[in-house]
Amino acid sequence: MTNYIIRRLLQAIPLLIVISMIVFLLISLAPGGPTSAFEENPNLTAEDIARLEAQLGLDAPVYERYLTWAGKVVRGDWGYSNATRRPVRTEIFERLGNTIQLMSVAFLTTLIIAIPIGIISAVRQYSLFDHITTFLAFVGQAIPIFWFGLILIIIFNVWLNNPVSPSTGFQLSHLWNCGDCSPLMPGGGMTPYGAENPTLSQRIQHMFLPVIMLALFGAGTYTRYMRGQMLEVIHLDYIRTARAKGLNERKVITSHALKNALTPIITIIALELPALFGGALFTETIFSWPGMGRLFYRSAQRGDYPMLMGIIMINAVLIIFFNLVADVMYAFLDPRVRYD
Amino acid sequence: MYQAKKRLLLLTLLALLALTIGACASSSTPAATDSGESASDAAAPAADSGEAATDEGGEKSIIIGFSQEPELLNPIIYTQTVADEVAEFLVEDLLAATDEGEYVAMLAEEVPSVENGLITDDGLTVTYNLREGMLWQDGEPLTCDDFLFTWELAMNPAETGAVNTTDLSAISSLECPDDNTIVTKYDEFYAPFLTTFSSNILLPRHATGDPTNMSNWAYNREGFVGNGPFKLQEWVSGDQIIMVKNENYHGYPDSPKVDRIIARIIPSREVGKALITSGEIDILWDLSEADVPEFEENPDVDVYSRPGLGTERLVINLADPALDATDDPLNNPHPLLGDLRVRQAIELGIDKQFIVDELLFGATTVGTSELSLGWAKCDIAPSAYDPDAAMALLEEAGFTDEDGDGVRECHDCEYAEEGAPLSLKYQTTSGNQLREESQQLVLEMMADIGIEFYIENVPSAELFGSWDSGAFRKHGNFDILMYTTSDVIDPQSQMDGYFSANQIPVEANGGSGFNYSRWINEEATAAIDAAGKSADQAGRAANYQIACEQITADLPHIYLYDRAEIGLARSNITGFGVNVFENSITWGNANWDKE
Repeated sequence: MTNYIIRRLLQAIPLLIVISMIVFLLISLAPGGPTSAFEENPNLTAEDIARLEAQLGLDAPVYERYLTWAGKVVRGDWGYSNATRRPVRTEIFERLGNTIQLMSVAFLTTLIIAIPIGIISAVRQYSLFDHITTFLAFVGQAIPIFWFGLILIIIFNVWLNNPVSPSTGFQLSHLWNCGDCSPLMPGGGMTPYGAENPTLSQRIQHMFLPVIMLALFGAGTYTRYMRGQMLEVIHLDYIRTARAKGLNERKVITSHALKNALTPIITIIALELPALFGGALFTETIFSWPGMGRLFYRSAQRGDYPMLMGIIMINAVLIIFFNLVADVMYAFLDPRVRYD
Repeated sequence: MYQAKKRLLLLTLLALLALTIGACASSSTPAATDSGESASDAAAPAADSGEAATDEGGEKSIIIGFSQEPELLNPIIYTQTVADEVAEFLVEDLLAATDEGEYVAMLAEEVPSVENGLITDDGLTVTYNLREGMLWQDGEPLTCDDFLFTWELAMNPAETGAVNTTDLSAISSLECPDDNTIVTKYDEFYAPFLTTFSSNILLPRHATGDPTNMSNWAYNREGFVGNGPFKLQEWVSGDQIIMVKNENYHGYPDSPKVDRIIARIIPSREVGKALITSGEIDILWDLSEADVPEFEENPDVDVYSRPGLGTERLVINLADPALDATDDPLNNPHPLLGDLRVRQAIELGIDKQFIVDELLFGATTVGTSELSLGWAKCDIAPSAYDPDAAMALLEEAGFTDEDGDGVRECHDCEYAEEGAPLSLKYQTTSGNQLREESQQLVLEMMADIGIEFYIENVPSAELFGSWDSGAFRKHGNFDILMYTTSDVIDPQSQMDGYFSANQIPVEANGGSGFNYSRWINEEATAAIDAAGKSADQAGRAANYQIACEQITADLPHIYLYDRAEIGLARSNITGFGVNVFENSITWGNANWDKE
C-alpha cells in the first residue's frame, strides 16, 4: 500500500505540470485579458495600454510567460494579482477560510439530512415517506438555485420580521408596510454591517440561509445515492441470512446493511471534498458571501491570470489528493479491493 | 478489521469537524483597526429599533450597496467606476463638477478663470490658490508639494506604473511658489485643463512610498490616506469597506453629518433591491432603467434618476468590412452602409420613443447627439420616426424586394453587387438583457422597412478587445455595433477620439483612436480641432455644435437613447443626489444625513 501511495504521488507531479501548461495556454487564448478593462477608457491611449501590457509582462510570448510564472511558483512565489496588485497568496487565503467555513457546515448539514432520509426511504421502499422524499429530492435538484436563493431572501428578509422587535412584533408585512422593524434573517454577508466583533450567534444567523440553500440542494443528490446503495445491499443474500438467523430488523439494518451501503458513499464524499475549497459561485453571489467562487469569477472576468492560475492549481492539487484519499479509503473499507 | 473500519469512519468525521471549527476560528479573529474609538455598536442585536437613524451607540451609519468591489483605491491606477465612487468619500479635489455641469471650488479658493486673473489670456498658465490649513486625514498639512508629487508620478508612467495620466501629463511644468499656490503651465492649449484637479487624483507624498514601487504601496488599500469627509477604517475583502468621519476634514465637526459610511459588496443586483426594500441597506448603486418601476409605488424608497452622459448608439461601419483596418474608407465604402440613404433609412425606421417608453419605462430621453448635457450641449432635434420615408429612401437608393422574401436586395444600387440582400450583422455585448431586448425591437422595426438585421453578440471583452488582440471593432470587420460610450464634463477627448478623421485605428497609428465608423468629415474634424485649441467656452460650444450637426447629417453613429444614471435611497436619507458629471451617486456625501 505504501508503495502504491508513493507511486500515485509521483505520478501527480507530471500531471500537475501538464495541467498548468494547458490551463495557462487556455487563459492566454481567451479574448480580452488584463488590459481589456482599459480599452473603453477614452483617457487612455494605445501607447498607455501597450506600456501597461509591458509592465504586466504581457508582451512576451506565451511560453516565456509560462516559464517565468512556473519558475516563480517553484520557489513558492505565486505572483501578484493584475487587478488588485496584491499577492495571489494573500487574496486566496483571505477567501479560503470564509469558503471552508460555509461549505463545510453546509456539507455536514447535507449529510445529516440526506443519510437518514436515504436509509429510511430504502428500508420503507414505496411507502408514503419514500414517495414524498423522492419527490422533494427531485424538486431540490430541479429548482434554479439563483431563483431559490432570492426567494429565501425575499421571504426571510423582506417579508418576515424579527419577532423580538418590540415596536412591531411578529408580522408578515406586505412588502413595505413595516416601518422600523428589523428583518428576521440577514440578507447576506458574513457579519452584521459594520460590526467589529460579531458574536457567534450573529455568525450563525448570517450562515443560516446560505447553508439551508446549499444543504437542500446537496441533500437532494445524496438522498438518492444513499437510497440506491441501501436498496442494493438490502436485497443481498447475507442480509437474508442475517434475518434468517433471527436478528432483529434494526440490527440487520444498522450493523449489516448500513455498513456496506456506506462504503461507496464515503468514496463519493471524499471526491466531493475539493468542492469545499472551491466555493459555490451562485450561493456566494446571492448571499454576498466573500468566498472563492466569487474570487474566481472576478479573476476570470478580468483576465487576471496569476490569480486564475493560483486558484486552478490549488484545486488541481486538491482533486488529485482527494482522489488518492478516496482510492486508499476504498481499499481500507472494502477488503476485496487490493492495489498491490 | 471491524475496529479499524470504525476508527477510520470516526477519523473522517473528526477531520471534517476540525476543518469546520478551524475555519470558524480563523475568520473570527477580529481584524486590527487603527481607530482609537471603541466599537460602540453591533455587539448585540439591536434592542430598540424605534430609533432607526442611529446605531446603539448613538452613531449614525449609512450603508451603501455596491455590486462590485474596488480592486484598489490608488486613484492614479484604478480604472473602475466603483473605485471612483468610493474615492469620492475619501478624497476631496481642488475643484468639483456640480450636477449642473459647472465647476465649483472645493480645496481651491476659487475656480480659475481669465476674469479673476488665474488664467493667462493665452490659456497656457493656470494658477490655483489652495485654501489655508488643509490637512490630510493623518493631520499632516496638504500643500502644493503633494500636487507636485502627483504630477511627477504621472510624468514617469514607465517607471511608476501610473495609468490615469492623460490630464496631468499635458501639464509641461508644475511649480510651487509657496505652499498654497499651484502654478501649472502648458506648452500648447489644453482644453480640458479644469478636469485635471477634479477627478480624485491627489496623492500624499508623505504617506505613499517609493514611486518606482507603486504597485506595492500600502496606500493602495489598507494604508490609504486621503483628505475627504471620511477616512478608511477597515476593508474586509469581498465583504465591506468601513469608513468613518475624518476629524481632520476642513468641515469637521459639522460636516460630514453622519459618523460612518459602510460600503457593502452585494454582487447581485436583485438581492440589492430586496435589501433596500427591507431597509437593510440605505443606498443602492448601479441600477438600470428596468429597475425603476417596482420602486415607484414604494414610499420607503426614493428613486433618483437622471439622463446621463452615456448614450446607447449604433456605431455604423462606413468602410468595407472585408478589409482589415483600411486607411482609405472613402474609396472602399461599405457595400450597403456606405450609401447615406441606407443610414438615413435605418434612423427613420427606428421608433426611439417606443424603445424609451417600453424598455426603459420612460426613465430617460431619446438620443439625439453625442453631447446631450452640460455647457457644451448640442442643439439637435430628435429624429423623426417615419417608416414610409425610410422605404422611399431605400427605393431611391436601389434597394427593392423583387424576390418577395421580405428583404430588399440591391438592384442598381450604388456600391453593392447586383442582387445582394440588404442584410446586416448587428452586434452588441452578450448577456445584457436590456440590450438584447432593444435588439429585438430594432430588428422588427428594420424588418418592417425591408432591412434584415441579424444578431451575433459577443462577450464584452471580445467586442472591446485591443488592436493587438485583433478585435474586430478596432480592425473594422463589422457592420453595426451597439453600445454606450460617455463624454465627460469636458467633451474634447470623446469628440476627437470618436469623430476626428485622424483617429481612425489603422496599422500606421498602431490602432489608436476610436473612430470605428471610419468617418472622414473635414468640417467636423476642423471644428473639433478648433474647439480643442480655445479657452473660450462659448466659442468651443459653437464648434461642437458644428460637429454634432455634421454627425446628424452623415450618421456615422445613430443615437438610440441616453442612459439614465440611477440611484436608490431610503426615504429617510437626505442630501443624496445623482451627479451625472462626476458619474457618481456618492458625490456630495458630506451633506448626507439620516433622519
